[in-house]
Amino acid sequence: MRPGRVGRVGVVRAPIAKAAVVTRAVTPGPAPVAKAALVTAAVTPRRRRI
Amino acid sequence: MTDHDTTVVGPIDFIIVEFPAGESNFNGEMIDELGKLMDANTIRLIDAIILVKNDAGAVEALELSEVDADGPLAALEADLRDFLGEDDLGNLAAAMDPGTIAGVLVYENVWAGPFAAAARRAGGKLVADGRIHTQDIAAAIDAERELENLGA
Repeated sequence: MRPGRVGRVGVVRAPIAKAAVVTRAVTPGPAPVAKAALVTAAVTPRRRRI
Repeated sequence: MTDHDTTVVGPIDFIIVEFPAGESNFNGEMIDELGKLMDANTIRLIDAIILVKNDAGAVEALELSEVDADGPLAALEADLRDFLGEDDLGNLAAAMDPGTIAGVLVYENVWAGPFAAAARRAGGKLVADGRIHTQDIAAAIDAERELENLGA
């Protein structure tokens, strides 16, 4: 680590928790490719349901 | 790489990408994709550093040039600044599991800068922001399907 980093006022103000999605990403279910296709379909623009 | 407009600053994000010890590869495809984002002026890389957390939880911070003295990582470092301080590195490493190595990237979302400036000029102010992870979308889809099956 370069000396320039020592003593600097931090911008990350608190310890960062591991992202909750990391644990959900390894839960049982459809294969990642199948899930990716579903997610892609969910965010593809189309007429809104009212 | 295109010139950066210093009069407009986009939001700054960080990511921490963790790998099991001995399985890290910060060269190759990751660097290529990062370079494409920078060349397209989608992001501007501000800082990057490698964190190593041993099995006991102790953290060591390595500059890119310490990991890859003559390779693409070191070349990448030439345009960066020491934005993160020592305290920041400790806070970021809290997300890591013991026995892992992680790459930390801090970057400006250059694409968002002009829009944010326009919103401010129009009198708007940012009151919240966030990210919807694909895993959460997939979970919502699964939950909807379960509800549909229960109702069928």
